[in-house]
Amino acid sequence: MQRVISSKKARRLGLFPVITLACFLSAIVSGLISTWVQSLGYLPSIGATRISWDPWIRLFSQPGFGSSLKTTLVSGIGAALLALASTFLLFAVSYHNRFWKMLNQALAPLLAIPHAAFAIGFLFLASPSGWFLRLLSPGLTGFDVPPDWSMVKDTAGLSLMLVLVLKEVPFLVLMSLSALSRIDVAGSLAVGRSLGYQAVQVWGRILLPQLYPKIRLAFFAVLAYSLSVVDIALIVGPTAPPTLATQVFRWFNDPDLEHRLLGSAGATLILLLVVGSIGLLVILEIGAARLMRGWLVNGQRRFPMFLPAVISNFFILVVVGFSLLALLVLVTWSFTWRWRFPDFLPETWSLRFWQKGLMQMADPIRNTISIGLTAAFLGVVLVVGCLENEVRMQKQGLSTGTAGMLWLIYLPLLVPQIAFLFGVQVILALFRLDGFWPSLVWSHLLFVLPYVFLSLGPIYRSYDQRFTDIGLTLCHSPWRVFLRVKLPILLRPLLFSFAIGFSVSVAQYLPTLFMGAGRFDTITTEAVNLASGSDRRIVAVYALSQLLTPLLVFLAALLIPRFYFRQRKSMQV
Amino acid sequence: MCPGKRVYHQQGKMMRMLLKTLFLIALFLGSVTAQADEWDAIKEKARGQMIYFNAWGGSDVINDYIRWAANVVEARYGVMVKHVKITDIGDVISRILAEKSAGRKTGGSVDLMWINGENFKAMKKHGLLFGPFSQKLPNYRFVDTVNKPTVLFDFTTPVEHMEAPWGMAQLVFMVDTNRVNWHPADMKQLLLFAKKFPGRVTYPAPPSFYGTTFIKQALLELATDKTPLYQPVAEGNFDQVTAPLWAFLDALHPFMWRKGNTFTSGAPEMKQLLDDGEIYISLSFNPNDASNAIANGELPDSIRTYVHKGGTIGNTHFVAIPFNSDAKEGAMVFADFLMSPEAQLQKAKPAIWGDPTVLAMDKLNPGDRKAFEALPLGIATLSASELGQVLLEPDASWVDALEKAWQKRYHR
Amino acid sequence: MLTLRSIQIFSAGNPLFPPLSLDIAAGEIASIMGPSGCGKSTLMSAICGNLANVFTLSGDVLLNDRSVLTLPMENRRIGILFQDDLLFPHMSIAENLAFALPRELDRKKRKARIEDALEKADLPGFAKRDPATLSGGQRARVSLLRSLLAEPEALLLDEPFSKLDQALKDQIRVFVFETIRRMNIPALLVSHDHRDCPPGQVINLANGRT
Repeated sequence: MQRVISSKKARRLGLFPVITLACFLSAIVSGLISTWVQSLGYLPSIGATRISWDPWIRLFSQPGFGSSLKTTLVSGIGAALLALASTFLLFAVSYHNRFWKMLNQALAPLLAIPHAAFAIGFLFLASPSGWFLRLLSPGLTGFDVPPDWSMVKDTAGLSLMLVLVLKEVPFLVLMSLSALSRIDVAGSLAVGRSLGYQAVQVWGRILLPQLYPKIRLAFFAVLAYSLSVVDIALIVGPTAPPTLATQVFRWFNDPDLEHRLLGSAGATLILLLVVGSIGLLVILEIGAARLMRGWLVNGQRRFPMFLPAVISNFFILVVVGFSLLALLVLVTWSFTWRWRFPDFLPETWSLRFWQKGLMQMADPIRNTISIGLTAAFLGVVLVVGCLENEVRMQKQGLSTGTAGMLWLIYLPLLVPQIAFLFGVQVILALFRLDGFWPSLVWSHLLFVLPYVFLSLGPIYRSYDQRFTDIGLTLCHSPWRVFLRVKLPILLRPLLFSFAIGFSVSVAQYLPTLFMGAGRFDTITTEAVNLASGSDRRIVAVYALSQLLTPLLVFLAALLIPRFYFRQRKSMQV
Repeated sequence: MCPGKRVYHQQGKMMRMLLKTLFLIALFLGSVTAQADEWDAIKEKARGQMIYFNAWGGSDVINDYIRWAANVVEARYGVMVKHVKITDIGDVISRILAEKSAGRKTGGSVDLMWINGENFKAMKKHGLLFGPFSQKLPNYRFVDTVNKPTVLFDFTTPVEHMEAPWGMAQLVFMVDTNRVNWHPADMKQLLLFAKKFPGRVTYPAPPSFYGTTFIKQALLELATDKTPLYQPVAEGNFDQVTAPLWAFLDALHPFMWRKGNTFTSGAPEMKQLLDDGEIYISLSFNPNDASNAIANGELPDSIRTYVHKGGTIGNTHFVAIPFNSDAKEGAMVFADFLMSPEAQLQKAKPAIWGDPTVLAMDKLNPGDRKAFEALPLGIATLSASELGQVLLEPDASWVDALEKAWQKRYHR
Repeated sequence: MLTLRSIQIFSAGNPLFPPLSLDIAAGEIASIMGPSGCGKSTLMSAICGNLANVFTLSGDVLLNDRSVLTLPMENRRIGILFQDDLLFPHMSIAENLAFALPRELDRKKRKARIEDALEKADLPGFAKRDPATLSGGQRARVSLLRSLLAEPEALLLDEPFSKLDQALKDQIRVFVFETIRRMNIPALLVSHDHRDCPPGQVINLANGRT
């Protein structure tokens, strides 16, 4: 057997996974430990040096704690479960129908809309003085003033849950599509239907049980996010009392410095909630798998499709429609001068807020773009390095340990941001590295890496190695072959992953606030800060800018390959 | 006594007086010169510095003013000012605390911050402030320390020159005269108003400082004996003193917007609701807020400002310098400019911000005084006399106690 | 009996092959041959009811004198066997087979039928095995038996042997043809390898001749 010779240069590729892991783990582990230590009462700067359970005791005896906890669990776990169930329903019932095609085409833009902008749009649509009611008033409803209904920021957290579901379903659909590409869907459907089962039954018994394990981690990431989200909760979540994450965020900002300890305890509790929920779901999965074995093969071939089809197709319309309408309402508000309820359209228009906004936004936009481009670029470079290293190891027959790797990659998405970011800030302040631009980029990189990995990984791995092999026989420099053969072939997926990394960076809220030490405003921090009550017109301008920035990068990612390969038919995928 | 000697004696007396006066003048001039020297040295050091001014960024009007002031200071003193827009000053205090915890005695991330009240108290208590410094600022001599006692006592915490006064705030209410034709004159009438127009009255939830101030106002109006409020809060009589307040709120909440189940985050959000017609009454700390909003298209021109007949709470807001700033001189130069008659006049202009001045009219030169007196009032702004009496803030310890008690009662 | 009457499939208005008419009696296995790309698999999908939207169909397909073209795929009672065995990876062998059984059977009868099928496939005791642990030939046998357990009225075979080793092919061919004949249902096989075709009707799709 011939031994594969690995050059010294190629072995340097082994550095990439090490650097990447060091990036992740150091931040998360140190941040968590720092937060845990504070939750036990140790914060020297306020003179708290006694380790005790006191912050925890105070946490549980806070007024409204029970209610906060309940809202958090309901909106968090509820949103995640509902998003998963909706995704499954969409696949089982609407796969490849008319509505599906609409969803598919809208998927990339839907994912590119940042959470904050969407939440603001939702607020402008669904609140009692929002566009929906302006549409119906006073004609159908007879309202001259907005009704005193709790439509957004309701105490049960239902509007928060709805916004989360509408935002998470496209993400889960994307992850599912990627996972399903590794299963022979068409073949399974053909076999199942030839055995007499309706398509929806084939989905339920054959395809979805194979799909769930593949998107399990993505689902857990959705769960962690829903339980610990701050920026969306600030915009559409309940206020009295707020969700636990919002409350913790407020404690970290409270002038009474003792509340930092309380905040650390709360943040750690959120971490425990996430871990506990994930554990519960794993147990439920094992239990369900056992219980459902009989059901899988009970032979039931029919399924009443009418109602599920209506619900599923309607849901697609809601997901796509809400985003479209949110966009429209933001655009309308951004050009408004006076718009009183219940007018359907503004009574006077103005460009003033765009002029004002663009002037004010110069700095934030510059920050957002520079941080985003750098983080995305570094992310892609690191991921490509790791993937190339994987190729090298596979050539040598070494195992790549993918299962553990996957959990590590997902780690920044599974650990709630609020559970460790403040801890990291304290550590950075120790080394005077907070408010330092590279620290900020690094904190964004932490969350960019998983998404770049997830989007680039499957496509990179499916690259036909023989192109490189032939290239090496023709020109003997691996570096040249990489640059002139592999990279151009993978240009489109690379640019797409870059765009995804960029939009992830744009959407970051807590990292910019904590790590940036207030020296760097981004479009997102500005938009969320303004959303809580400021003039709707300027908020709309900011929200739209937050939205347009990643969209422009996506557009570039689409058009550059199209132009570059305009004379290459097989590259026009 | 021979006449010559008396003259001699008188002459001696005069000489001594003259000498004394000369000596005092010399001393005064000397100290002034010394002060002037010190100030010149500060201005020299400040030139070329960049200061990070952390201030609430939720109002366009204020942001624009800060930008104007920053441009002037850069042109005139070579100090660059970066306005760091924040939602909650607590976040900044948190950061400074983290820095102190990490032993960072210089190179702090904040050079100047806009604070008052319990925030100031917290920072003073934890030693996070630089100072005393405001006595070194030349424009401090114009500050009204007689008629505006809140420049010396911030929520009853002695200022002791640890922060420089910037502007005045007074709680005012705004009502939409298009929707209703009368407004409450005090809290009890507010309850009647809410019963007549259910769902159209609300207040922000504490610990938002707007909400806490509303609660304090209500307590000041409803408490039978106000003296405990100006002393540190005591466990013993807290319940008894605040009983009328809770009774009032319990009666009010069912008639409130969202039946008191949800609250707004502050006055800016309430302003939007007022515009939409979701509520009929809103509040603000800037007596010129309504006029500004009308000029800006945020509110219709039917909005009018009013106050309660017994007076409303007022206080001063300040700027302060953290202990670990590297640009303290630049911060002081900017703080001094903000107190200058020129900047205060610009700030008080209704078309700009309309924030009342901290300066004393009788300390200004006649030209400046006339300019202040000639300021027009916005269509929805009350004149100084119409604003009525300013009630003093209770002791700062009441803030935390009231917030906690409110949250205990109403955060189910 | 499976009847194809003047079947033609069009892609963007162009027919893929000349009109095809064919009668297959019960227990008979007819073969359709042709080079790759001539539409054999498309024809299979058209007959079993899985034709992609880009194609249009003219002609008729009758199963036991009933037209099946109006029926959706799951109601046609036509089984299909592919190149890939497509055994469901998340189920055991027994569960794969059980999946094909009708609903109305009770547990005892189900177990009996599954064991019977495993016997026929010469895989006794393989009930609880994971499909991934079986060899290619074993999986092909299970796949066929799964299709037959659903009691189809006709069976289609879309190049079922092309992924098997040369050595296995003869064995599996014999097994498949014998089993189908025993079931006494019409079957249609397409392939590009003439050795796959059992004795009987053999049609060349490109020119319609035997």
